[in-house]
Amino acid sequence: MKFTLILFGVFSIWSVRATVLVEELWINNGVSNIVDSPEIPYTAFNPSTEFETLNAILNISVGDTIAFTIHNNDSLSHGFDIKNITVPGGPYIIAPGEMITVEVPFENYGAYIYYDAYNYPHYKSLGAAGTIMVSNTTHSVFYWNMKEHDKPWNTAITEGDFEPIVDYDPFYFTINGVSNPETQADPISRITGNVGDTLVVCIVNTGQMTHSIHFHGFHATITYSSENPSHVNREKDTFPIQEMQTMLIYLVPDKIGKYPVHDHNLVATSGNGIYANGMFHIIDIVE
Amino acid sequence: MRALIILLTFITIGNTSHSQIDKNWLLIARNSGNYIAIDGYEVRLMGFTASLGAPVLAPGPTLRATTGDSVKLRLYNLSQGAPHTVHLHGLDVNQQNDGVPSLSFDIEHDSSGYYYFKAPQPGTYLYHCHVLSAVHVQGGMYGIIIIDAEDPTVTWDGGYAFDKEYHWMTSEIDTIWHNDTIINHEEMDGMPSHIPKVYDPQYFLVNGAMDFQQEEKGDINIHEGIETKILLRLISIGNFANKYTFPAELNATIISSDGRPLPAAEESDTLWIFPGERYQILCDPLTEFIDSVRVDYHELSMGAAKGTQYINVVIEGVFDLPVTEQVAITFYPNPSETYLQFSTQAFSYSIFSLAGALVQEGNITDGLVNTERLKTGNYLIQIDSGDNMNTFYFNKK
Repeated sequence: MKFTLILFGVFSIWSVRATVLVEELWINNGVSNIVDSPEIPYTAFNPSTEFETLNAILNISVGDTIAFTIHNNDSLSHGFDIKNITVPGGPYIIAPGEMITVEVPFENYGAYIYYDAYNYPHYKSLGAAGTIMVSNTTHSVFYWNMKEHDKPWNTAITEGDFEPIVDYDPFYFTINGVSNPETQADPISRITGNVGDTLVVCIVNTGQMTHSIHFHGFHATITYSSENPSHVNREKDTFPIQEMQTMLIYLVPDKIGKYPVHDHNLVATSGNGIYANGMFHIIDIVE
Repeated sequence: MRALIILLTFITIGNTSHSQIDKNWLLIARNSGNYIAIDGYEVRLMGFTASLGAPVLAPGPTLRATTGDSVKLRLYNLSQGAPHTVHLHGLDVNQQNDGVPSLSFDIEHDSSGYYYFKAPQPGTYLYHCHVLSAVHVQGGMYGIIIIDAEDPTVTWDGGYAFDKEYHWMTSEIDTIWHNDTIINHEEMDGMPSHIPKVYDPQYFLVNGAMDFQQEEKGDINIHEGIETKILLRLISIGNFANKYTFPAELNATIISSDGRPLPAAEESDTLWIFPGERYQILCDPLTEFIDSVRVDYHELSMGAAKGTQYINVVIEGVFDLPVTEQVAITFYPNPSETYLQFSTQAFSYSIFSLAGALVQEGNITDGLVNTERLKTGNYLIQIDSGDNMNTFYFNKK
């Protein structure tokens, strides 16, 4: 009887920790109309066949498994892989109109990027890259998928040009597919909370260039860095994040107020030469 | 009478709130500065000065306080142009004193504004204008803030002791961004505002100086004795990343970043520093040597190095040890028609166009470099004499 109870307990713990979550995503094409409506060709992983610039955000617990079903909703082949994670049978190529299914376990705390690995980095550069956060946190989490766009390159890629990307000269800088001031209307990325709260910011850089994010008003602590594990526990106000890197930071605000967070490559605070229509956001802390 | 009492009470409370000021800082915002580049090209600067008669330079004056000080900063705008602010980068001040115009206040021409804050943890910080910041920072409106520990000979309470310190603030200049119409822009009719789309700097600076200008500054190149503990304060205010490469003999240890000690100090001969970051490096040279710290300037979109600076390091013997003789390298004529004659005899050299293209290189044993094949124009020649590397600007007629 005692053994049975122990076995049941172990099984219960195992079943709680080893949840299998079903995620069905579609690779969609569309255009982004940020800042001055440039109609930038864009590709994204969305939770339905309806295109949106925001790639689906997946938040799971350590030890969970995701059962992915990925549909290719485009007339061209695409792919699927996850940075720093071994995807069984991957990386995948998905023919037009086809789909793949794969189960991927996530054993370690952190932030990961799933992305279109076909014709890499071109389709990823078009926007097809999203966030998987693996943590057991109960705190408020805010998600930043940072990406810049060089419209001529996006256009060339959609026309089948997969030459190596050179002379990359982006004029548009986005967080979750939008730029300031639209960022401030995005509840997923706008950091809000009370004094004394622990606020978690999950940052992934799915673009081609490095972004150096500066927080006004506060220092925050790095709790995960995909490329620089030695940086964990560093307390900083400026966080460089390079191409395809991820970072989790904990912010505990000590005062009320509104404080900007922005790329300190100040050119990236603009959008097509319009200031401050770039990577610029505002933290809002209340009592 | 009752109204008078209330008024006096209000004034008293108002004065009391800032009555314990330990440090008064003054910055004057100007737009009348000039930077004369190594090739003689002159660009306009915005900037901060500490007095009316001081030249407008970038960086502006270094501001210094002790941790825990109550600091009052007055900004007086004499720019005859746009409004300005001071953002106290990394000092974690409250919203009112953060210097972001849309969230606090800005200061019009011929007006003053005041910022109040408590000096935070000891470390290296910076300040800059946050009005149209992409333009005003590129224009030159920035400087260093140092917060000392109560014992100024240590990095922080319980931290590292040091004997000397050097501050290296890196930035770039793209001349397009310094056109008169940009530097002299007037008050905006609200945001957003148009700025240049392309950033393609031609000049790469340490404390506002490039190549031979660093020697003229006097406080950039390291010249110390062995066993002198040297604290380097590195500050990045440009839009590029900097890769520092330290000579192994400098015995460099990365000890803090952004005003906070690292959880674990890291011994390293290289360091990447990105826009807005600061690092403190403790150097403990144990041998005599002459070398240089290499600083590469990498653009962030493709990662390519667009410029390099060398900061000379001379560590000499002490007490009765022999002192290393440092011989300055000179050359003539400049401009050159057919040759350059150097004061040192044996060296290898590389000649670059100002765009960074290698146009000629070779090894010399008599100090004479032939320049006949060069086209008319301005060039940089890099001399590697084995002990040291120097870069000089020259003109070919």
